[in-house]
Amino acid sequence: MTREVDKVTSAVEAGLDRMLESGCSFADARFYSEDRTRRITIYDGNLEGNSSNLEQGIGIRVLFQGAVGFAATANLDAVSACFDRALDNARAAARLLGFPRDMGKAQPAHGEYSPPVRQDPFDIPLTEHIALLKQIDDRLKHPAVAHRYVTSLYQRRRVFYWNTEGTGVSRVSSNIFATMTVMAPDKDGRTQRRSHNLNSNGSGSRGFEWLADPNSFAGHAERIRQELAEIIAAEPMTPAKRDVILLPGQGHLQVHETIGHPLELDRILGYELSFAGGSHVRPSDIGTLRYGSDKLNARAMLVENSPGTFGFDDEGTPQPDYLLIDKGILVNVLCSRIDLGEANAKAGREVVKRSGGAARAAGFYKTPIDRMTNVCIDPGADGNLDDIIKATENGVILDMPVSWSIGSNREHFHFGCEIAWEVKDGRRTRVLRNPTYQGHTLEFYNSLDMVGDRSTWRLIQVPNCGKGEPNQIMEVGHGVPVMRFRNVQTGEKE
Amino acid sequence: MLDPKTRDLLLAARNRARQRGLNAEFSLHRERSGLIRLGNSAVALSTHEELTRLDVSVQDGRKVGSFGILADVTSAEQLAEALHQAEENCAAALPKDYDPIFAEIQETTDDERGFDPALETLSAQAKTDLCARVIKTLAPHGNYDFSGSWSTGSVELYHVTTANDNESYRRLTDGRMVIVLKEQNKKWELQVERSQTRAGAFTADDIIAEFDRLLPIYESQPGFKTQVGRQRVLFGPQAIAALLQLSVWSGLHGRGWEEGRAFTSGKQPGEKIFSELINISDDPDNPLTFSMPFDFNGHRRRRFVAVEKGVFKALFYDSQTAAKYGRKPTGHDLSAWDLVLEPGSGPAGLEAALRLAGDALYIPHLHYIHMPDPSKGLFTGSSRFNAMRIQDGRFVSPILSSRVTDAIPTVLSNVVALSSRAVCQNESATYDRRAPEAMSVPEWLLCDNVRISDVADSF
Repeated sequence: MTREVDKVTSAVEAGLDRMLESGCSFADARFYSEDRTRRITIYDGNLEGNSSNLEQGIGIRVLFQGAVGFAATANLDAVSACFDRALDNARAAARLLGFPRDMGKAQPAHGEYSPPVRQDPFDIPLTEHIALLKQIDDRLKHPAVAHRYVTSLYQRRRVFYWNTEGTGVSRVSSNIFATMTVMAPDKDGRTQRRSHNLNSNGSGSRGFEWLADPNSFAGHAERIRQELAEIIAAEPMTPAKRDVILLPGQGHLQVHETIGHPLELDRILGYELSFAGGSHVRPSDIGTLRYGSDKLNARAMLVENSPGTFGFDDEGTPQPDYLLIDKGILVNVLCSRIDLGEANAKAGREVVKRSGGAARAAGFYKTPIDRMTNVCIDPGADGNLDDIIKATENGVILDMPVSWSIGSNREHFHFGCEIAWEVKDGRRTRVLRNPTYQGHTLEFYNSLDMVGDRSTWRLIQVPNCGKGEPNQIMEVGHGVPVMRFRNVQTGEKE
Repeated sequence: MLDPKTRDLLLAARNRARQRGLNAEFSLHRERSGLIRLGNSAVALSTHEELTRLDVSVQDGRKVGSFGILADVTSAEQLAEALHQAEENCAAALPKDYDPIFAEIQETTDDERGFDPALETLSAQAKTDLCARVIKTLAPHGNYDFSGSWSTGSVELYHVTTANDNESYRRLTDGRMVIVLKEQNKKWELQVERSQTRAGAFTADDIIAEFDRLLPIYESQPGFKTQVGRQRVLFGPQAIAALLQLSVWSGLHGRGWEEGRAFTSGKQPGEKIFSELINISDDPDNPLTFSMPFDFNGHRRRRFVAVEKGVFKALFYDSQTAAKYGRKPTGHDLSAWDLVLEPGSGPAGLEAALRLAGDALYIPHLHYIHMPDPSKGLFTGSSRFNAMRIQDGRFVSPILSSRVTDAIPTVLSNVVALSSRAVCQNESATYDRRAPEAMSVPEWLLCDNVRISDVADSF
């Protein structure tokens, strides 16, 4: 491995020098010496997914006359040619130039990052992984459960990054994602489900020991089985305007879709318009837009145990921790280096001062784009879940997404959830099935009137955030407390 | 045919596996891709990737394991290591409670009919120049911002297994271009999209003419905020393709039906599920699709009818589902199908459709579609590009973002008419590996009583 890295390092250093000599204002290279995944899926007791995967290669990005060119290859003897291809692509792009892309200036960074891992999942025998999931599958088994599903995904990446400013950093990513789901038909024949994802309070190590700890994952099997039994016996939610209390299992996706995505700077500037969509936020809104009530504080957070923590982004920027929304006011966005000048020019003032360390690529053959990291909501001072329930006259508690559909500028949304608990006069009364809710983003966050304390805050892992073209699947984290929103449209109206 | 060196390596690996008594399959995916992305009326990104992926799967009785590698697959050692990893995964596996079907290539094929070297090597410069012409022609006429993408490339698929000596090889080229025009003050968006299997399939003038047809209404009329409730809707090709995909995924796939999770569960072949105007098939011989002749399990693919005159005829079975439920695989072990919604007897052309529709909404695209309840076929998605209000048989204004939340069986039972003209709708995935996919759909589909569940104040 060391010899391979040394060989690539030499070729990259020569290539970077050559790009500067060729008139490039900037160039960088990312070498994935190892990008490994393992997926295991047990469905109704059968091992239906049992695969592992290895990727290795290099991606080169160059900036020539304000235009970006990218090329990638798995052939490590062709690094020099890959630089040439990236430069050719940038030259072609420069024929139709708009706002010249500019990396600005940054101090060279050096360092290594690795996450807290005690037991590397790839050092654990496969038989042990499968046995753990099989035990969970056995615990999910019940005559009332029609189908059950347990899956785990392990990732380990070693990435080396260099650029023409002298930055040279490396990082290791180590992720574990796991989900268990039970399904059964309700009395109308509709399939209902209840599931649990591996999550944390944001601290601790993220090796195999985390998954193997019964309190983290396996211990939830009986709970979701029991809750599924309640769902299939429940009445459907009737449409009405009510207060909505989102548990972190649902709240994280609400935040992901309607705070995270619309605050990505490339979306705001229109670079994602044709595919993922745009944003209702304009550059000039930064610093002025009332996004939500005074209770809303959102940040790109540094969290010890999260797939959205990576040390250095794919431009070599050390990952920062900063506020996005401060007491309801939009104060910053998720950004990389390349679009800061354009955002400030379009706003007519300096609205973004520095990179948010959010340049991330999903593999060596993908170019970095603005991504979420750990978009989190700060805990509030409105007590725990019981306190919020006691303060609610007419509402529902919602957990875990079943479906989500969001407007192209993230201005409106529709979510379906696995389970709802009705709240009447300060008491949790009964389970309701088929819960849905919809709303308009700014109106919704301005109706936020209770935010749970630290005891309600959970770090939820998202393994599959999709964005970009070609599409890139990225891992992110969202730490969210319990949140209450007033007077929300719930259920399906005819 | 695959380059001799790689082919020899793979055949040698297969023979070694066979000598060792293994049931093994080797699938090679090689792509050459080039893409330009447009953003803010410029080329925001220009890329080129050359990638080779090898997937190896080993089966031992009821145990299966697989290993995939994306790297420079050029040596016998790498292939041996990939086979070894797959073998180890298989050895650690739990046996299934059914007999899995081992992949067997039914006949040797060498198919390069869909390959065009000029499209494979279409340069970033050529793409940039065409897009520049579109932008420079239209930009002076309004406060417009252009974005989009144009991806072209080739895919080689090569597949062998230890079951026999047959080899399956396919090489094809594909391209998809999308340009979005956004009015920067009013925020509406228009989109023009093109699919291609060969270079030179369209010109800048084609794209400009299509924008010119749409622009006058958008420029002259404010956005119309329609009412929540049931309305007549004229769907366009992308929305129809989305409905077709959802129909198959949530109603016509064997796995969902067998497990009671499909909207067809409880129904038997021969029962009516949609309007008699609806005919759904998967047809690799349809020239508007990318025509995948074989699936990844080696099955020869032929036209397969799932719905005929609204009657549920048959289900699609991949080999895993077929094995589990004792059915026959139907050639659907692949990510990219050749789905067809047969055209109807309605007039060809959008203008004739407008006259037929009278008063309706025109929704050619459904953005961010999702299914809150697949077992009832319930879906939701919102209008986006090119959506308009139709009044007295003509377009009168653009519409604000309107959410459709309805059930597939309801929508496809309330069909008034389908165009007699079929068009290609390119649905190629941009996730993971290059996978060309196109559907053949009518250019329009008119439905009554489609449920609009929410309307935004913006486009």
